[in-house]
This record gives sequence, C-alpha cells and structure tokens, in this order.
Amino acid sequence: MENCDALPPRLSAGTARYIQYHTVKIIAGAWTIHVVLIIALKIFYDTMPGVSQETSWTLTNISYMAGSYLMFHWVQGIPFEFNAGAYDNLNMWEQIDNGDQYTPTKKFLLTVPIVLFLMSTHYTHYDLTYFIINCLAVLAVVIPKLPSSHRMRVGLFSVPEE
Amino acid sequence: MDLHDAYVLLNRSAGELSTRFQRVPGSQILLRYVKSSYQNDPVRSVVELCLFLFAVRYLLAPRYSTTQKGAVELTEEEIDELVEDWTPEPLVPGLTEVEQAENEKRPVIVGPTGPKVKLSNGRTVNNFASYNFFNFVSNELLKDRAVQTLRNYGAGACGPPNFYGTQDVHMDTERDIAKFLGMPACIIYAQAFSTISSVVPAFSKRGDIIVADKAVNFAIQKGLQISRSTIRWYEHNDMEDLERVLEQVKKDMARKPLTRRFIVTEGLFENIGDIVDLPAIIELKQRYKYRLILDESYSFGVLGRTGRGVTEHQNVDPQSVEMLVGSLAHGICSGGGFCAGSPEVVDHQRISSSAYVFSAALPAMLAVTTSETLKLLEGNPQVLTTLRENIRAFRTQMDRCEYVECTSALDNPVCIFILKRDGLEGRIFDNEEKVLMDIVDEALANGVMISRVKHIHETQGTKPFGWQCVPSFKACITIGHTKKEVEKAGSVTRQAVGKVMARLKK
Repeated sequence: MENCDALPPRLSAGTARYIQYHTVKIIAGAWTIHVVLIIALKIFYDTMPGVSQETSWTLTNISYMAGSYLMFHWVQGIPFEFNAGAYDNLNMWEQIDNGDQYTPTKKFLLTVPIVLFLMSTHYTHYDLTYFIINCLAVLAVVIPKLPSSHRMRVGLFSVPEE
Repeated sequence: MDLHDAYVLLNRSAGELSTRFQRVPGSQILLRYVKSSYQNDPVRSVVELCLFLFAVRYLLAPRYSTTQKGAVELTEEEIDELVEDWTPEPLVPGLTEVEQAENEKRPVIVGPTGPKVKLSNGRTVNNFASYNFFNFVSNELLKDRAVQTLRNYGAGACGPPNFYGTQDVHMDTERDIAKFLGMPACIIYAQAFSTISSVVPAFSKRGDIIVADKAVNFAIQKGLQISRSTIRWYEHNDMEDLERVLEQVKKDMARKPLTRRFIVTEGLFENIGDIVDLPAIIELKQRYKYRLILDESYSFGVLGRTGRGVTEHQNVDPQSVEMLVGSLAHGICSGGGFCAGSPEVVDHQRISSSAYVFSAALPAMLAVTTSETLKLLEGNPQVLTTLRENIRAFRTQMDRCEYVECTSALDNPVCIFILKRDGLEGRIFDNEEKVLMDIVDEALANGVMISRVKHIHETQGTKPFGWQCVPSFKACITIGHTKKEVEKAGSVTRQAVGKVMARLKK
C-alpha cells in the first residue's frame, strides 16, 4: 500500500497531482486497515475456545507486532519493478514518504503499536509475564521506526549488506 | 506570614485546577486508568510513562527529509555574490599540444575512399587507415545493388523498427547473418557503436554482475556504464585472473539473492589487437554459470576460415555464446551492427534495447549491401587468404624494425604497433603521442597513410582502475593493394619509425 510513495523521482506536474490525489485516498485506507486488522485479530482470538482475556490481548498484540515487523522492516524492495532496482535495498518503512521522517503516516504507524501495547497491558491486569512479552514485542517494532535506524542494517549471525 | 499566604494560594489554585480537570470530559477515565495502572509497581509505570512521553515527542516533532541533507539556507545577497564569483568551466577542455598539432596536420581525402586516395593537397597516397579489409568499398557489384535499392526503397527507413521502420530487406538481412554465423536468430541495429552499448544494458540491470576485460573498447565501456550493474574487471586476457574474479564473486554473493551474471569481452580487441581465448572463457562461464556477451566488431568477417569470426577461428560452437554482437561497419563495409543469439535473446531486445527501439531502422541499401557482402564472402573464401598474405607481408617488413612491436594477433588486419620499451635505448621523450604522430606524418610524407590509435579521454568512460592504454599507431591492411605495394608500405613505415627515432636525442 505504501508503495505509491516510492515513486520514481521525476514526474510531470500533472502526473504528480494525479498521484497525490490518489495517494490521499490510499493513505486513508492504509491507516484504517491497521485498526480493522487489530479488531479482527482480537475477535478471532476471543472466539477461540479456552483463551482467556489476558492471553487474547497478548496474542493480538504479538500478532500485530510480528505482522507489521515483517511488512515494514523485513521485506525489502517493491513488488512491481520499474525503477531499475532503485528501491531494492530499502524496506517498506524506509520507502514511505520517500524516506522523510516524522510524516503524518509515520506518526500514525508509530502510535498504533504503542496504544495497542498500553491497552493490552491494561487489560492483562498488569501481570508481569504478559507485560514483559508485550513490552519486548512493542520495542521490536518501535526501535526500527526511529529516525536514527533509517537505512541501518543489523546482522546477528551474518554480515549486514550495506 | 508570606509563606502562609503562598501556601494558601497554592492550595486554592491546586483545588481549582482539580475541579477544572474533573469538568473535562473523559478525565474520570484517565484518573481511573492511572490509578489502576499504578498497581504498586513503579518500575513498570515508569516504562509505560516513558513510552507514552516518547510517543508524544514523536508526534510533535517536525517533518524532515533524509534525502536532502546539508542544504545551506542562503540569503538573496549571498546567492548573488556566489553567482557573481562563479566562472563556468569550459564544457570542453582546451586542446592539448598534440591535439592542436593533429588538427593542423589532419589529412583530408578528396573524392571517394579506397585503397588509394587523393588528398586535399593534391597528392595520391596509399590508404592504410580504413577498415576496408576486403576492398568492398570499391566493389562495383555492391555499388550497383545499393543504387538499385536506393531507387526502390528510398534513402532512410523513416521510422524505428517497431513503428513502420522494418522492411522486408531488414528481415532478410537478419536471416542471412544468422545463417552465416550458424545462430538461431539475429537482430540488426542502425549503428555499430550503439549496438553493444545498448545490448549490455538491455540484459544487465542495477544489482546484476558484469565481469569484464580491462581492455574493452569505449563502446563497451559506455554500455557497462549505462547498465548501472556492478562491474568487476579482470586483467586483459588473463584467464587465471578471470577465474580469480569469478571465484571472488561467487564468495561475495554466496548468501545473497541470485542475480543475472555476464562476462563481457571482445573477439579482437580494438585497443590492443590481440585475440580472446574463447574456449577458456566458455569453459569458465559454464562452470560458474555466467552468460557471455562477446563483441565481434573487429573479428566478424575477418577471422576464421570463411570469415565467420572468432568462433570459427577457435573452433567454438557459436551457439555457446549467448549474445554475439558484431559490427557491419568495419570489415563488412556497410553500416550498422547486429546481435545474434537464441530467439529469446533476440526477441527480448526488440522491445527493450534502447538503440533498437528509439532509433530509425538501418537504411535499406545498407541492409541489402550487408546481405550481398556476406554472399561475396561465402562465395570467395580466397579473399581471406589474400588478406592474410598481405598482413604477413606487412608484418614481415615491420618485424625487422627494432623500435616497435606489433600487439595484434597474426590474422588481424588492424596491425597495432607500440614502441618497444627495451628498444628505446635510453632515448628520452616526454610525449609518446607526439613521437607517434611524427612517425605517422613521416609515413604520410612518403605516400603511406597510417593513423594513431586514438583513445578517448580518461574521464569520459568507466575506466577500470589501473588500466592505461599504451599509445600506439595502426596500419589497416586491405586486399586492395598488391603484395608489392603492401611490402613497400611496410618498409616505408619501418623507415619512418627509424628516422623519427634517430632524430630523438640519445
């Protein structure tokens, strides 16, 4: 969804306006889908038999964090290649808004996991184990979103590429 | 008393603040949340508070771009001042001493070109400076066919091949070249230079790997540059070094996503004149799973028993070369270029090779001339023998010269000569190009037109690190001269070299 922001650098004025108009619509959808997905996940875990409220919230939290980590920070490049590989080494978070920091989209996408974390710790009644799990999950998605992590590559068992 | 007053004031304002706060909608929920979240666990609450404060800070931070770094804000006056101070560099650097002298002395041909040409100063000289190896330039049959085609088809194709530019003759020519080479398919380009510099980027893109010979010609260098691929160089014609580079690439790319990989080299090298070791390269490319782009611009029509190029010369199956690129403007004396390969390789280029898509098709008469020339070559393979005899005659004369050596392969009609390092015997000269120019001028004064090998300026190509072309001059042998004339030209050139070297201070 955010790929529309990773457009080739030079466009005619008309094309840019057209894309801007449609980007606004796409961004609205891209924001909503996060909330929708979280609610859907919560309902899904609630319907599973034998899952307590605490576990359900924690599972929702972990699933969302894992999914967003995968989509924003793990996968690199773009699905439809027509820029001669210019975006091959960038993950989706780095492509959003051409790599600008503190943009509305980025602010929204950072707030969502934090709010979800605060909600889930609240509804797990501040159990220490749940808190630690949820806290680690939220840190895993918040740290790569920091401006200082931009284009930074960390390799645990291998040498990072860049 | 003052202290008491202040305490009362503080108390009152605190009470007022709390009542006001309670009037704000949702404040009860917040209070309840804070109370219940505290739960006698200050550490956890601190963590949550930090996270919350961080989110607030993030939300309030102003937007900035990571791509436009270090842009200094300048005032109008400062901008004016900078503009005032700025003196533009010349678009083209000024002429060097050698270039100036070259401009003054450049021979100008009057009338048609051929083995013997008339210069603007009225003298007739033997031409050893054109790629007119088989003297197709003076062939009356080809001339007739070209004129006939010109009458039928007009001068140009008037459109790119994909938009009305392709005519029946183009398709015939493509078929003829493919048949001549023994390749399944072929595509023709309108210009020789842009053929290879368009074929390379048509296949190799950013992130792909190209392993190229350090001595490749300028057109290939341009292609490599345009492709934006990762380029690794190997020492000229050094198969051990090629293997080392391939091994290195294999190691570097072991855990990375698979990319396209190419080896790019020339059949006969334009800058040096020697020949590629094709069987060794084919073996390495198959072992390391590379594709081979071979530029046969100078070897097509020249090497091999029947002029089928380096593949025939070294007994290699032409189909083991993925992209066989050649020129129709050199040995064939027509115009344009071609790339032969599998039907997939050829069809890919029809819509994604920029020189094919964006430039007008080859003029019909050049296409027809090409086909006719190939027929002539196939019909008279003895022209190759004659050419080789002439080459040998010239080189036998030059071999007796102690100051220069020939770097070209034996069958290469473009004989490239460099000054022998050990033959200089301590002669000191600051500009080798100038010495070579004197040799060329001396030969011309005696009725033999040869030329220096002109290298493109360092900054214009993607020069491999540490590679420097040795200044050289060349003589292009043609069958348009009799053996006696060639021998005479050889001895004239030899004497010219000797004379210039004798003039140099010991």
